[in-house]
Amino acid sequence: MNFSWPRVTTIARREFLATVRRKAFVFTAIGTPAYFAFVMFLSVGPQVKETVKVLESFKSLGVVDSSGLFGTARPTIDSSIRFDENPFSKDVSVQEFRTEVRFFASEAAAESALRALEITQVLVIPADYLETGRLRRYARTSSLFSGADRRAISTWLVQGLVEPRAGTVTAARAARPTADVALYTLDSEGQFELKDDRRELVDLLLPLAFAMLLGMTITVGGQYLLQGVAEEKESRIMESLLCTVSSEELLGGKLIGLGSAGLLLIVLWAAMGLPFVGTAGMVMNLRLPPSLLALVVAYFLLGYLFYASLMTGIGSVASSMREAQQFSVWFTFANFAPLIMLALILSNPGSPLAVGLSLFPVTAGTTMMLRLTASTPTVTGLQLALSLSLLAASAVLALVASARVFRIGLLMYGKTPRLPEILRWARRG
Amino acid sequence: MLEIRDVVKSYDGRAVVNRVSFEVHPGEIFALLGPNGAGKTTLIRMITDILRPDSGTIVLDGAPVGGERKRQIGYLPEERGLYRRSRTLETLAYFGQLKGLSAREAAREAGALLERVDLMEWAQKQVQALSKGMQQKVQLCTALIGTPRILILDEPFSGLDPINVQLLEEILDERRRAGATVLLSTHQMNKVEELCDRALMIHHGLMVLYGSVEEIRRRYADHAITVRTAAALDRVPGVRSIERSDGDLKLTLEAEATPRGVLRALLEQGVEMDSFALATLPLEDVFIKVVREGRGLDHGQSGGADAATPAAEARR
Repeated sequence: MNFSWPRVTTIARREFLATVRRKAFVFTAIGTPAYFAFVMFLSVGPQVKETVKVLESFKSLGVVDSSGLFGTARPTIDSSIRFDENPFSKDVSVQEFRTEVRFFASEAAAESALRALEITQVLVIPADYLETGRLRRYARTSSLFSGADRRAISTWLVQGLVEPRAGTVTAARAARPTADVALYTLDSEGQFELKDDRRELVDLLLPLAFAMLLGMTITVGGQYLLQGVAEEKESRIMESLLCTVSSEELLGGKLIGLGSAGLLLIVLWAAMGLPFVGTAGMVMNLRLPPSLLALVVAYFLLGYLFYASLMTGIGSVASSMREAQQFSVWFTFANFAPLIMLALILSNPGSPLAVGLSLFPVTAGTTMMLRLTASTPTVTGLQLALSLSLLAASAVLALVASARVFRIGLLMYGKTPRLPEILRWARRG
Repeated sequence: MLEIRDVVKSYDGRAVVNRVSFEVHPGEIFALLGPNGAGKTTLIRMITDILRPDSGTIVLDGAPVGGERKRQIGYLPEERGLYRRSRTLETLAYFGQLKGLSAREAAREAGALLERVDLMEWAQKQVQALSKGMQQKVQLCTALIGTPRILILDEPFSGLDPINVQLLEEILDERRRAGATVLLSTHQMNKVEELCDRALMIHHGLMVLYGSVEEIRRRYADHAITVRTAAALDRVPGVRSIERSDGDLKLTLEAEATPRGVLRALLEQGVEMDSFALATLPLEDVFIKVVREGRGLDHGQSGGADAATPAAEARR
């Protein structure tokens, strides 16, 4: 095999610079986080605003009580929204709202008051409410996105029913019985650890973030390789290149250069999210052991080598960019398949499904990231060793086969070889 | 010197190149000829170490091609292609670096080559902004950069206007005088006659012609001589027929007659001559004749190919 590192680095530098200088790269680097931030802003912001708007406009409730159960109920409903400007911030801001309760003798009177805008809503409590639980509510409009007014009415009803019999404190507890519950679960060292709302969020987001980042880094680098090889094949430059460098040097340079470009993209995205992640890490007291980070690097390197080798093979046999992408989509899908099964894997990280996916080379990286960062780690040393060994063996096999296919496939123009032909090249070169 | 010895390459059991042997000497322009599908591109790909032969050897200055020796070959493939979005100078400098030049040397040589082919003002433009002819010249520069000792040019004249054809001929001559070996594959037989010292023709993967261009042209000229004279020739000993064409007389000799004997007979008859030369056939006619007659060479009639091997050439 003819292999010169200076030539490999020359090719890698060219591939890296040609990729990162493209407008598409700059657009993807800035545009993707901006898009997600925009979507988050559009979805979360208005939802909070809508809740505030609903409670602010819920000034008065007209009650027609035919049951007689609420004669001594409170004349006001006090509601509050506890929300964070930054979901990971320690500072919790609370906004309070008050709704006046006015009793009406008849539904007609309450309805007239509603139409005259004297009250915001009407609650009709039938005589058989205790037996049937049926209620009727009248409003001029209703919100599609917030049920805050309904929750406020619910609290008032609980207090109205319980307070006369059990007192104010019991009524308050009955209205929100699990408002302040502390859950303790076993941590990785076998100690019970407080698991609050934020901790629960970490348990979900941390594995998801690691699996997503790993999957995306591998995929982005591999896709750059696919595009690069397919484009060069289409532009007929390969023959000039292969006259000067060996196919191994060309493949090595591409793997390094385009993998680095993919990594840079992920680093840029991570850097843009760093203020958010950093605050979150501090608040949640995140502990990322060095062994985990070492495993992330190992899975990235092996996973990238495996996936990129497959993409190289596909790029060199496909007759056009479009055809190459059609073939590659299946492998990309497989890479992210564990994320579709996120709930199944995280709820039982030691299940046969989770173990099987973490051993299968195509899904090993993303599945193992989910399992390793799950709140209840179940990965044994043997599983880890087996998973890494299988992935490494597959990566080496894929690299050797794709290098053989690469050398022959690149010089075939306008014709896509059949599968037996590709397999023959992969075996014999 | 580039030496190709008994090279064979087969696909699916069919020999695309079959026991081809030839030599190309330093400072010569050598033509590789053959009809479409003859196996020329496969042969060139083996010389450039893109493909490996099934058997036989390809030797450059006594050592097999490949490895670092690849850097001594400049190749202009028939399938042209460049990085369309890269700048012209940058593209050339990249190829220079791949051929072992430092970044500075590569940039300097790339600039000099662009200057030589009148494209310096396009140095900072993207390749896709250049016309087809300009791209062809840039592609030629990718073959020339690094001052390779072997230049392999596959159909280098296609797509060039007459001025650029002349420029290319000048560049080839410069390189030849500097000691480079040029291997030219083309279907433009007039260019082969103008530029090339020797030629090899393959057909169905087999060698069918090998030797100096002049010798090949004479060999296929029906054992004839051309005489320029005002005299009316009627009967000359040893001459089978006399034809007049373009003011010259073409004398086709009898099988056992020699040009020297005919010259002596003409002088004895007192014929005054402005010129007396061995007749030659245009290379294009030789090409057509050989391809037509050469049918069946890939069905076991290897006599033609054998007759054209360097050993057979040496025997003649």
